[in-house]
Amino acid sequence: MPKAANYRANSVIYFQGDVISDKIYILQSGQVVVNYTDIETGKDLREVIQTGEFFGVKSALGKYPREENAVVVSDAQVLIFTVPEFEQFVSANTRIILKMLRVFSNQLRRIHKQIENLMEKSEALSPEIGLFRTGEYYLKNRMYSQAKYVFSRYLTYYPAGKLADAASKNLETSESCMVKFGDGKGPSPSVAGPPAGTLSAHPGAGAAPAKPADTLRPQAGQALSDTAKEYYNAVSLFSQEKYKEALGEFKRIVEANQDPEYVVKAAFDMGRSVFMLGQFDAAIAHFTRMVQTYPKHPDLADILYYLGQSYAKKGDVERAKGFFRKILTMEKDEDNSTFLRAKKALRGLEEAQNG
Amino acid sequence: MADLSAFTRFARTYQAGEIIFSEYEPGDSFYLIQSGKVRIAKIVGDIEKTIDVLQPPEIFGEMAILEGTPRSATAVAVDTVRVLEFNRANFEVLMMGNPQIALRLLKLFTKRIYDQKRRFMILTLEDPQARVADVFLMLDETQAAATAGAEQDGEKREFKVTIEDVAHWGGMGASEVQTILGHFANQRRVELYPDRVVVRNISDFSRFVNSRRKK
Repeated sequence: MPKAANYRANSVIYFQGDVISDKIYILQSGQVVVNYTDIETGKDLREVIQTGEFFGVKSALGKYPREENAVVVSDAQVLIFTVPEFEQFVSANTRIILKMLRVFSNQLRRIHKQIENLMEKSEALSPEIGLFRTGEYYLKNRMYSQAKYVFSRYLTYYPAGKLADAASKNLETSESCMVKFGDGKGPSPSVAGPPAGTLSAHPGAGAAPAKPADTLRPQAGQALSDTAKEYYNAVSLFSQEKYKEALGEFKRIVEANQDPEYVVKAAFDMGRSVFMLGQFDAAIAHFTRMVQTYPKHPDLADILYYLGQSYAKKGDVERAKGFFRKILTMEKDEDNSTFLRAKKALRGLEEAQNG
Repeated sequence: MADLSAFTRFARTYQAGEIIFSEYEPGDSFYLIQSGKVRIAKIVGDIEKTIDVLQPPEIFGEMAILEGTPRSATAVAVDTVRVLEFNRANFEVLMMGNPQIALRLLKLFTKRIYDQKRRFMILTLEDPQARVADVFLMLDETQAAATAGAEQDGEKREFKVTIEDVAHWGGMGASEVQTILGHFANQRRVELYPDRVVVRNISDFSRFVNSRRKK
């Protein structure tokens, strides 16, 4: 049975952030307001609860922390329901649920709109292209019946769409492969892409000549190049402390010499891997070569830091101090992590010498 | 379960492997599973990911209540599936006669509202590094809710996600996310594996995100 409770003016029924949120309230008399911060504007908003209205429903049903403060304005009487009590009560009054469904779906619509507005600024896929790409995925993976469904839906919604020709070709391919080989079987089908240029309207995407396989990558910079993937795998190995394997991968990227951006990064990481493997002479040789090859390397301070550490590990304290001091003179930003690490390392060496 | 015999005219049957609706397709109906299993999947990057497998008496496609929004995932029949198909026009009739279903939908909505609000909070972060970190905070909150009461291993957290997943949640490009994760790995804040990411100190991420959120 729901319990009646009395609250004095200025008391708080629950606070925003309360984790225990398993009660639902209905206002019987008096005045209660809920206030909360609007997530879009950051403004504090205030909503007066009507007599007979439920509050605290969403966080209780959804089992998440309270999102607002429920404050008593003038002495109030409320009924307190547990979730099962609430469920039992509204089940006998379906109109209440329907009313709440309407309120909630309006809130959902509003937040959805807000997200859409934000996403427009970043990189959302248009439904038309998205649908086409979904079909393409299924066809490539020889899931013919799924591909058939998606391409025929595409043609239903976008009969004159810019990808309609390609979609009907792909639909035919899906149907014939289905008959000839059966779902999931047969050689990799050839997939019709969109006409050249239709998807490269994004600024920047037209800069690089599109390879056929890339024509369905509508966003510039969205797809990962092979080198980028290899580099990421190598960084992953490093983060797992598998330095030997990481070193091998970084070396491969440097030697393949495909993408200058990743070659430079991988060259630096090769040195770090060698250092972590305890091969300080090799690390010194590697980083020294790097300073000569890339005197303007963006991670120059880090390179010098590793040089300093390698000398320190070898017991050559003076040389090590020299590198750390050099970092302190070239780094302007005193909160920079390399600056701070160099400072700490230098102090450590000096204290060891003096003590 | 509620008596739904009056609703047979809304019944649809799908065979194993058949698509009920596809991601990006405009949708105006939602479904109540009566028998069989339905797989909810999404193509992320180059792989199709299963988000959920649903069974009776679960509801899916409920976002169709939002007019004109494309489906955010694909629904595929796993075996022979029987569903009741509803739209905005006839759903009130169903709900009036079936408070249990209405309640289930109400709960789904509370969860969706929370998820979407949380997503919005991620997207309002301007610093891309903070966005990536906040995606992990969000995932941690979801995991904590799912495993409420279970022992947590200190500050370390493991997430079964790929770069593409994080990019999706953060509304960012995959290459940008990759660069940022690589950077976090170099700072020894995360460990990266092909199928998962380990955050070494979740509170560190939380402090970082809070420092970047405008007050």
